[in-house]
Order: sequence, then structure tokens, then C-alpha cells
Amino acid sequence: MKPGTSLMKRSALMTVARKELLDLFRDRRTVMLGLLLMPILFPALILGIGSLAEKRARTQLESTLALPVIGAAHAPNLVRYLESQNMKVQPAPKDPDARVRDQSFDVMLRITPEFGAQWRASRSAGVELIYDSSRQDSQIPVARVRTAIEQYGGQLGVLRIINRGVSPEVGQPVRVAQRDVATPEAKRGMLLAFLPYLLILSSFLGGAYLVIDVTAGERERQSLEPLLATPAARASIMSGKILAACAFGMLSLLLILVAFKASFTFAPGQLRMVDVSLPALLQLLLVLLPMVLIGTTLLTLISASVKSVKEAQSYMSLLMLLPIIPTVVLMVNPVKNALWQFAVPFLAQNQMILKLVRSESISATEWATYLGAGFGLGLLLWVVAARLYHQEKLAISA
Amino acid sequence: MIEVQNLHKSFKTRTGIVQAVRGVSFQARDGEITGLLGPNGAGKTTTLRMLYTLMTPDQGSVRVDGLDIARDATAVRRQLGVLPDARGVYKRLTARENIAYFGQLHGLDDATIAARTAQMAQTLGMDFLDRRTEGFSQGQRTKTAIARALVHDPRNVILDEPTNGLDVMTTRGLRTFLLQLRSEGRCVIFSSHIMQEVAALCDRIVVIAEGEVKASGTPDELRAQTGEDNLEDAFVKAIGSEEGLHA
Repeated sequence: MKPGTSLMKRSALMTVARKELLDLFRDRRTVMLGLLLMPILFPALILGIGSLAEKRARTQLESTLALPVIGAAHAPNLVRYLESQNMKVQPAPKDPDARVRDQSFDVMLRITPEFGAQWRASRSAGVELIYDSSRQDSQIPVARVRTAIEQYGGQLGVLRIINRGVSPEVGQPVRVAQRDVATPEAKRGMLLAFLPYLLILSSFLGGAYLVIDVTAGERERQSLEPLLATPAARASIMSGKILAACAFGMLSLLLILVAFKASFTFAPGQLRMVDVSLPALLQLLLVLLPMVLIGTTLLTLISASVKSVKEAQSYMSLLMLLPIIPTVVLMVNPVKNALWQFAVPFLAQNQMILKLVRSESISATEWATYLGAGFGLGLLLWVVAARLYHQEKLAISA
Repeated sequence: MIEVQNLHKSFKTRTGIVQAVRGVSFQARDGEITGLLGPNGAGKTTTLRMLYTLMTPDQGSVRVDGLDIARDATAVRRQLGVLPDARGVYKRLTARENIAYFGQLHGLDDATIAARTAQMAQTLGMDFLDRRTEGFSQGQRTKTAIARALVHDPRNVILDEPTNGLDVMTTRGLRTFLLQLRSEGRCVIFSSHIMQEVAALCDRIVVIAEGEVKASGTPDELRAQTGEDNLEDAFVKAIGSEEGLHA
């Protein structure tokens, strides 16, 4: 290789990257949509979902619960106790099962006519909760009623045992004390299960239309043939295009993260405590960088192998599904943290982002595995794409 | 100087193998205009694409100023100014930026690019340098593409159907421009299916049909070979049909 050849190559790469960015940024509307849509959507989602969940939980927990009771007359003390627990006992409508099923009421209570007799005989008196377990919305009201009845039963049970001169602990051979080791940071991580998918998707496909446009689009517009007739090496031309797309992808991610920071700063309740310090955001950017590279090289590869922009775009729906797969698999089959996970694309990003959001420490080995595998895959895709770029048919549009 | 020896090229298509070029040989000398004349689909574009290294010949060789395209493709591309069949310009860039982009890819510095752009704009009559090319007429686009192709002042110029789609005035201007390139001592090759254009401009003519050279030489040699006094009749006789040609 002659001296100066590598210098020439580098400058061709930068020339192409600069031109693609100039070309792109002249297309104001596309840039605005590409750069601002997600950063606007993102806070809306976080603030919206956050406040919605918060509000719903608060109203269901704190509001007076309307509780239709069948046979309230059989247990006046229990009814009074329930009313002291912020519930409004009301007469039951006809056909209670149907009314619960059609969602007129979340939960109803039936007190059997034998209640009084059983109670006096110190036998377990029967009550029945009527609810629809397939409805998420009724979970909190059902839990409230059940807890209240259990408390009532528990208190009276203790009194009965004491009345018989026995220690209440006799009837309680085992006592479970609960110690939840979830840190506050990890708890809010649970609130953020959807976050990795959004971040991975925006880094993976954030610059998709740009990548498709600079290869498949340029061929369709018939300017690729003259471009490839210049002395610039094809690999440099392709790398320049990839560099431009990566730069654009990182810029759009940066804006998303800024929006992320802003929305978590103003978010209600637990979400406000998400770690959005500058080091955390920089680490997030570093985690997403390999994803940007993988997405860009993969799309370049696809664009170089298809016949038209349309064909390239039809791969998009498939590509959008890829980042969901690990999230779904983890939901169905949760696995323990293991090093191999940091080498599996999409799963690795998912784990890294969750760790960052939960403020868990990431070991040097995990970082090395993650970055090695991510950039390794990016490089592999780059090599394959460069081979496709050397195909004869690439330049020919017709 | 471009020397073409026995070029072959075939493509696989759904219906079978198409032999686009079958043994094309010719020489294009410096200070001369060499015309490739032939009907549409004769193999002209494929031949030219092999000349400017976009396609690899199945067989045969091409030397540009003594450099072999198979071994020194990059150096060959540096010696060539190419106006391909596909002449898309970047519509969000101005004509000047389109030209500068290619100048930079040829490794030229900004001062050289500016000087060459001004020179080309004057020769080609481009008074639209600082407008974005979106909405350009066909003629303005072709001029931009030619200026872009010649920004590095190449010794050899290859133009694929340069007058395609241009109006009469622009075509006349372009012919004058080709003659000027010749007078500057460059080696000019262009392809055309218009007999009158080839007859008016070319020092040497290569008549191509069905991927083969049917006749070649100076206008006088062609007249002698075919026994026709009229050059256009000579073309038709060499090809064996008028189909696909244009007077």
C-alpha cells in the first residue's frame, strides 16, 4: 500500500459522513420527526403512566369502598367492623354473580344464614367473597375486603383463646415475619420494565430510515453508480454512511435521555427517584452505543442486499420485534443473572439497562463481556455489509 | 488512451443467461472522440461499465493510460471522468456542493475544487451553481453531473448517452463541449444511438449490436468497408437493421 493511501481513505470516509449529515439535515421535517418524536413521546409516556398508576392505586386504596352484602342482618358486628374500615355496606342487588361479572361491582360479600348459630357455637362461621379473578381492576378492592375480614376474625380468635385461659401463641405454631430485601432502587426498577424496550428499540432502529435511504435510496435515485465510479474505496464510502447514521442515532438517543432525565425529575411518586445523574446517563449512552452500531450495520447489510427501498422497509416489522423477544422470554421464564446473558444481543442490553436503572453495580467482567460482544457483532455485520457493498449488482439501478 | 481487448460479459436472469457483451475490442486515442454507436440494448452501457471498473469482465482486458483495470482499479478511476447512464444528483445539495463532494472524493483541495468549478461552470454555461438541484431541468441536471464527473480534470472522459433527454440548444452546447475536450488533447468516449450525432462528432466510430463490434474505424474507413457513401447508410448496413437507431 502506498503511503498516504490510508490518509486518503480516512478523508473519503469523513467526506461521505459529512455529506450524508448535511444532506439529511437539509431535510428539516424528517430530521424534526426523527429527533423530536421520541423525546416528546417518552416523557408523555412516563409521566402519563406514572401518574395514572399512582392515581388509580390511591383512589382504590383510600376511597370508600361500596360493598354490597347479602345477609348483612346475620352478622351485624362484622358489618359494623367493615364500615369502620372505610367501606360502605349496602344491600345486595338481585343476581349477585351476574352483577359482578358485568362489572357493576368489584366484589360482594355473602353472609350465610347459619353465621349466627356457628358463631355462637364457636365454630368457623362462613362468609363468601364474590369476585372475578380475571379482572385486574378488582384486585385491590378484593384484597381490602379479605384483609378486613381476616383481621376481624383474627382479633376475635385471639380474644376467644384468651377467654379460655390459653396463650394466643398456642394457636399460632409458626409465625412468619417478612423481610423484603428489594432495595427502594430495585422496587422502582419494577416500575420500569418497559423502559429497556423503548431505549433498545430507539437505538436499534432510531436511524433506520436514514440508513435505508443512504444505500437503497441512493441506488434508487441513481446517484450510487457515479459515487462508486470515484476512486474512493467502497468500504470507506460505506463506513462514512454508517458513521453518519451512527452519529445521528447517538444524537437522537442523547435527546431521548435528556427527555428521560427531565421526565423522571418531574415524575410523581417512586419514579422520581430513578437514577438520572450525569454518570448514569453517560453509562446508558455507552450501553446503547453497540446497539446503535449493530442496528446501523444490520440495516446497511439489508439495504445492500435488497433490490429496492420498499423491500428494505418490509424487514422493519421483523426488526421491531427482535428487541421484544428477550423481554418476553424473561417475563415468562425469569432467569438468574449470569455472565452469558451479557453476550446475547438485546438480552444483554436489557440486563445492562435494568442494572443501571436499578442502580446495581456492574462488574468490570460484565462490562468487558458486554462491550466485547456488542462491538464484536457490530464489526462482524460491518464485514458482511462491506462484502455486499463490493457486489457488482449493488451499483446498478434499473 | 483506452485500449479494450476482447471484452465478454454475461448476466444470469430468470429466463437464462444473457450474453450482453461478446468480444468487444477497440482503441480510443488521446485527442480524439470515439463514438460507440448502437441500438438500445446493444451492450454499450455494459461495455462502458467495464471500462470504468463498475463491472468486472468475464473475459478480456481494458487498459487506461497503460493501467490494467483488473489490477489498478482505483488508479484507473482516478484517470477517468465518468458520466454514467445513472446520473442522479443530490437534490438537497446545490450544484456547487454536488461538484465539491466528488472533488473531495477525488482527494482535491478546496482551492482546486473552487477553481475547477468556476472553469466548468463557464464552459458549460451553468448560472445555477448555488441553487439546490431539486427542480432542475434535465439539461441543468446533466450539466451538473458532467461538471461533477470532470472536476478532477481527467485525461480520459467516458460519457454514456450524454445527450439523452436534452433539448436541441443544450445538445448543441454539449457537442461544442465535447469538441473542446478533444482539442484539449483528452481521450473522449461517448455512446449514442443517434447516427447524426456520432457522424458529426466522432473521429473514430465503433458500431455495436448484439454485444458485438459490427464495424469500426474512421468515418472514411466505415464508408469504404460498407461500400456506402452516406455514413448513416453505412451504419445501417453494418448493423443490418435500422431498428433501435435514431437518425
